[in-house]
Amino acid sequence: MTNVISKVAAFIAALALLAIPTTSRAQHFVTDSIIPERIVVRSTTYGASLLNSLDTYLSGYDYTGAALYLQHENFRDARTGNYRWKFQTMLNGTLGYTTQQYYGQIVGLASYSWGGYHPFAIGKRLKLLAGVQLQLEGGALYVPGNGNNPVAAKLRTAVAASGMAIYRIPIGRVGWTVRLQLDVPMAGVMFAPQFGQSYYEIFGLGYASAVVAFTHPVNSPSWRHMLTLDIPIRCRRHSTTLRIAYTGDIFQSNINYIRSHIYRHALSIGFVKTIFKIKQENVLNAYSPY
Amino acid sequence: MSKRFLSYIACLLLPLSLIGCIEEDGFKNTPAGNFEALWNLMDEHYCFFPQAAEEFGLDWNAVYHKYKPLVNECNDDAELFDVLGDMIAELRDGHVNLSSEYGTKFYWNWQLDYPLNFSDSIQRNYLGRDFRVTGGIRYTELPDSIGYVYVGTFSNQFGTGNLSQMLLNLKNTKGLVLDIRNNGGGILTAAERLASSFAKERIHCGYIQHKTGKGHYDFSSPEKLYLEAGRGTVWLRPVVLLTNRGVYSAANHFVMLMRELPNVVVLGDKTGGGSGMPLNSTLPNGWAVRFSACPILDAQGRHTEFGIEPDVKVNMSSEDWNNGRDTMIEKAKELIFEYYNKISERQ
Repeated sequence: MTNVISKVAAFIAALALLAIPTTSRAQHFVTDSIIPERIVVRSTTYGASLLNSLDTYLSGYDYTGAALYLQHENFRDARTGNYRWKFQTMLNGTLGYTTQQYYGQIVGLASYSWGGYHPFAIGKRLKLLAGVQLQLEGGALYVPGNGNNPVAAKLRTAVAASGMAIYRIPIGRVGWTVRLQLDVPMAGVMFAPQFGQSYYEIFGLGYASAVVAFTHPVNSPSWRHMLTLDIPIRCRRHSTTLRIAYTGDIFQSNINYIRSHIYRHALSIGFVKTIFKIKQENVLNAYSPY
Repeated sequence: MSKRFLSYIACLLLPLSLIGCIEEDGFKNTPAGNFEALWNLMDEHYCFFPQAAEEFGLDWNAVYHKYKPLVNECNDDAELFDVLGDMIAELRDGHVNLSSEYGTKFYWNWQLDYPLNFSDSIQRNYLGRDFRVTGGIRYTELPDSIGYVYVGTFSNQFGTGNLSQMLLNLKNTKGLVLDIRNNGGGILTAAERLASSFAKERIHCGYIQHKTGKGHYDFSSPEKLYLEAGRGTVWLRPVVLLTNRGVYSAANHFVMLMRELPNVVVLGDKTGGGSGMPLNSTLPNGWAVRFSACPILDAQGRHTEFGIEPDVKVNMSSEDWNNGRDTMIEKAKELIFEYYNKISERQ
């Protein structure tokens, strides 16, 4: 029994270190008879983004506008390794419209990232995580009136260094959680047509041997920074966690004399769901209405 | 542990010190800024400077010094538009345009300096009233069992089924007079699909290049262009392709493809040219610019930017013009008859 209690205590400590807010329901749920195998914190936020796009393949000047923004995040403990690793998957979607003088541009981008982090606890409330992230992003900038070059396609993958700082603010019984995350692509590859190469030559004729470029912080200085605030909300017997997120996504490249940037500053809001995954043998001990 | 984290952060931030912002072109939205932007855009992206220098002695740096003072004298945007339009006209390229609320600046002399060699009024005498239309193509069967097909534009893609049915409808004719006079171009792949209707096998018909840098001579190695074999009905009887100076861009490309086919003769006047695939961009004030960016060469590796000479040079005669006869169509019919006469003689 002591062993079980110590495991539960260790688990709760790990949870606190993770600093992802747990709901009050979760606190009632964790008893000495149920041992969650791992916890998954899942959030989906919706919002709007300011957008600034440039691709000299289309035009030498910035298009500016706004976009709808979606962010879905999955954050969980490692299945093994004594919970010393945390994993994050993140999906971002942007659909926007930008303008430059008389012309409009449609921007559609989707990105997926998978990261593994090692936690470093500093003090009681602060937790730092450092790790590696694998990023994949695709989409296009589309200018309908641009004749033979209406589209600048975006497709890239990169290995990024990633870090985050998580701090629990002692407000209320559970506490608010603020998190700052920074992802910096260090090396990767991206679709990069030659200076004056048409998509007709690449896709119509199939001469696509030189359209993949190696990227690094010098020719593609990019990063993503994210600030989230998780606020536990309790209403009568129900509780949930509200998330307010700011995401700054800075993509830049200067390859084959084609300069490109996409600056996104998104404010999104949504809810956090905490899922306790329980081992099958422990489920047998759990409360059942039957 | 914190030391490990700090060292990790140091490693993370080190590349950030190399990071700078990648920004737009540094030209201001002023008359001088727009002039500089346009001149530099052409200087870096336009693909026919070597050919223009050889053909008519173009010196792009001299153009800069000629027009720079004129820009400073402009009183309003309308005057600036005229000056910039005149500057790009120095390239003598119909694919180089400037568009704004004041209109679109075109260089037309590639067509206007030459005989018309086409009259739609005279064409009516041949098309009659019973012609068919498919995918914008007008066609009919002329007396003496000659098919007449007029393709006035490549602005719309043709359906393979439509082309097949058209050729099947003309199956009782001895040969085709394929008229593309005054066809100013359109979609490159539309021209290729129509040309495929006359190819029974895949043939090498040209090359394509692109610029790899900002220099006037920075080009990729030429990549081969192929004309694919037709997917539907393929016409293998004699074809006489009629051209004039109004044949431009995708239509010029069509002539380049068709002349590689063994059963095709090109008859009429030299084409207008326009072999560079145009791309678009903008100036700081939002005016749209189009320019030739990717040269397309013929199967022998020659540029066709300034037109393609016909196999048989024929101009419309004044006498025929006055009598409502099309000299080129009549000559084309003669060629088809001659072809069959030669076959008969051999037999």
